[in-house]
Amino acid sequence: MIVEADLIRQLKDSKTQSQAFVVLVDTYKQRLYWHIRGIVLNHDDADDVLQNTFIKVFRNIDGFNIDSKLYTWMYRIATNEALTFLRAISKKLNLSDAEYQDKMIDKLQADVYFEGDEIQLQLQRAIATLPEKQKLVFQMKYFQELKYDEISEILETSVGGLKASYHLAKKKIEVYLKED
Amino acid sequence: MTAFNKNNPFKTPEGYFEGFNHRLMDTHSEGNLSLPKKEGFVVPDGYFKSVNDTIISKLDVVETKVVQLHPLRKYYYAAASIAAVLLVIFGLNLPASEAVTFDSLAESDIENYFENNDYDLSAFEIAEVIPVDELEINDILTNQFEEENLIEYLDENTNTYEELNLEDYE
Repeated sequence: MIVEADLIRQLKDSKTQSQAFVVLVDTYKQRLYWHIRGIVLNHDDADDVLQNTFIKVFRNIDGFNIDSKLYTWMYRIATNEALTFLRAISKKLNLSDAEYQDKMIDKLQADVYFEGDEIQLQLQRAIATLPEKQKLVFQMKYFQELKYDEISEILETSVGGLKASYHLAKKKIEVYLKED
Repeated sequence: MTAFNKNNPFKTPEGYFEGFNHRLMDTHSEGNLSLPKKEGFVVPDGYFKSVNDTIISKLDVVETKVVQLHPLRKYYYAAASIAAVLLVIFGLNLPASEAVTFDSLAESDIENYFENNDYDLSAFEIAEVIPVDELEINDILTNQFEEENLIEYLDENTNTYEELNLEDYE
């Protein structure tokens, strides 16, 4: 496993950049994919956003601050790309973001790339009711099991704020599932 | 119940109250949520193997597009310079426009010229160029006379029919 500092150095060097990008894609594609998928829900959309994310990383690697963590930087790009993607589609369909999310969750049950049971489907409905930030925090903490420090760097929010968001998100999900 | 004694002998660990909120959140969060840990999403078979090639090929396209721009830029500048020179050359050497003839002038242009310009021509000079035989009374009069008015005038101002030279117009 390549050390992150070495990888960054190779990515910024035009002689080693191409090979370094192969390693970068191979190392981070799955984690970024599942993070994106949790936001956009649909596999094809997640595939598009994942590719856009790596292209954006490629274009901006020269400006990357080596004092930052490569993974959290890429995660942030992936988050922004996924949210931008959702907003663009809902705008194109003349729907609010919430309406589009509801529409996507309705399609989940028939989606061949969703093998969740009823409770998992209900959980997705519950998550969709959360405000954007709480949704992201919940997904990153509960499903992806990121540390609060990492989430804090990605979302540029204090750890205390994240803990409060996570706590509120969990309460809302529990209430939603009990009422349903 | 006795009032709170400010000389309380009990102490708390250092920073206890500062970190209380965070500890409370953590303790509450660690409780069982009884929710599935998996979201239920799956991917097509072999997706994570094939996506590598897809992404790398797109990165190659991005890189190629960036590289190609620089060599062509000097050719664009050269082409623009040549076009500018040709434009100046042709602009200076444009042949004179075709000579204007009366046929190419609209009647309104001729009328406007005579209306807006003082020309020093005598009635005799004008009569020389105007084909009188082709003119009718209403061509030169601004106020068009009604036929009834003409007949009334002739009737009042003509003594004999011979003066009218009607035979010439039969």
